[in-house]
Amino acid sequence: MITAHQLTKRYGDRTVVTDLSFTVRPGTVTGFLGPNGSGKSTTLRMILGLDAPTRGHATVGGRAYAAHPAPLHEVGALLEAGSLHPGRTAYHHLTALALTHGIPKSRVGHVLDLTGLTEAAHRRVKGFSLGMGQRLGIAAALLGDPATVVLDEPVNGLDPEGVLWIRTLLKSLAAEGRTVFVSSHLMSETALTAEHLIIIGRGRLLADTTVEDFVRQSGAGTVKVVTPDAPTLVRLLSAPGVHITADTPGTLDVRGTDTEHIGRTAAAHGITLFELTPNAASLEQAFMDLTRDSVEFAATLEGARA
Amino acid sequence: MTSLTVTPTRVLHAEWHKLWTIRSTWINLALVPVLTVGTGLAIGASYESGGGDSDVDVVLLTLLGMQFTQIIVGVLGVLTTAGEYSTGLIRSTMTAVPRRLPVLWTKAAVLASITFTVVLATNLLTFPLAQTLLADTDQAASLGDPGIIRALVGNAAGLALLAVTALGIGSLVRSVPGGIGVLTGALLILPEVLRMLPYNVVDDAVRYFPTKALDALTHADPTPGTATPGAALLALALWAVATLTAAALLLKRRDV
Repeated sequence: MITAHQLTKRYGDRTVVTDLSFTVRPGTVTGFLGPNGSGKSTTLRMILGLDAPTRGHATVGGRAYAAHPAPLHEVGALLEAGSLHPGRTAYHHLTALALTHGIPKSRVGHVLDLTGLTEAAHRRVKGFSLGMGQRLGIAAALLGDPATVVLDEPVNGLDPEGVLWIRTLLKSLAAEGRTVFVSSHLMSETALTAEHLIIIGRGRLLADTTVEDFVRQSGAGTVKVVTPDAPTLVRLLSAPGVHITADTPGTLDVRGTDTEHIGRTAAAHGITLFELTPNAASLEQAFMDLTRDSVEFAATLEGARA
Repeated sequence: MTSLTVTPTRVLHAEWHKLWTIRSTWINLALVPVLTVGTGLAIGASYESGGGDSDVDVVLLTLLGMQFTQIIVGVLGVLTTAGEYSTGLIRSTMTAVPRRLPVLWTKAAVLASITFTVVLATNLLTFPLAQTLLADTDQAASLGDPGIIRALVGNAAGLALLAVTALGIGSLVRSVPGGIGVLTGALLILPEVLRMLPYNVVDDAVRYFPTKALDALTHADPTPGTATPGAALLALALWAVATLTAAALLLKRRDV
């Protein structure tokens, strides 16, 4: 459980985070979304006690991060890339962290295994790819078997296989009852794993909602269907609440139903489908609309003041 | 995993592990005996009685290689703290030990004890080796002579304190080149510049600058016009305490 109470962070004249309050609950994945530079990393740094808030405070598991006797057991964090010494091996990096808490050596081997780094464990981190560096950061986050996991842009630099691995990992961590808080600037990626969303723009809270509500309100969730028999399928799918548009011949955008219903309907009537894709791009669009508004709003305010 | 807590002993284990798992530590520490013994032997081999170096203290003469050691342990001190900022490792370190100060104290303790041990071993090796070449000269001396052991041990203690001072500077400056710049500028070059000034009070103060105090500490026979061994050691300790205290205050306040 993470709680932010009116967090505010100012660097000189620049206010990066303003009066931010939210709660992240255990047992689900919570996405922390915002465009680049919206204050996500600063917020995470304040939660972890790396930066002191100008006002407000954050707690993890009921108290300030630094007040926990075993911080790594309370929160495991993937920080921005390169939070390590490039001259040290992956194994020694993790061992040094483990030693601060008396975490057994066997656990170091376990997280190396879990992140697929066992073979690279004794290589110096200098030679690691971006993806391997991310995996090592995730290994460090899991080292203390933490109740809460905080990951800053975990899919950055990962190959498609790695992205898939992260999705599964996040869901399984949440299923174990842990609090999982994942920042990202990609709505479509986040919507695949998260159930809850906290969206910020320019350091302010824009939305604290579920993915389901966000999708419904955004009007996203259209399904793209490519079929040689479009007219028939349109007739079969027509129902109250279902809207179908066909901008190009043979390609339908269906709103108001899901891929499962469309697929079954087509199969039942022997209609060939070339493509059946839930349209995540419109979700991305809704997210961009939401955050762009906040940026424009802020810009207008500044203009009015000047 | 029920007994997980951060304790001072565990932080010590972690910092000890960190120091020995990067190559630069091994390289730097290996250079200390190599350069000191090498310089000592070269001096011993080329020394002539009654020459220009006759009035140089015997310990200072044989340990002339400590000029290199000053730089080496200084760099090592800066790397220990500022290196974590340059690489970004500091974020991991401070997430594991969010109370922060135990990390600073532990780093200082680990670096001081390792420096002291390596330098003392080097000195106890260098002096007798150089003396085998100086046996028939006016610089002949043995470990049992008055002040010799005190100067050899004092030199090691002084260099350990210099390393801690550098570590404090590294933590304050948070940049390896910046830290090395401040170290050489303020500690090595500044006293030489100040000495040129025609004021006695400045001369008195310069005596207690780290490098000057270290020179004084390395004398078997205290020379007039330099600090006494006790005062020199105290001065070096105060430099270390002052920089480390400033580093601690800022470490607690600043964002990582």
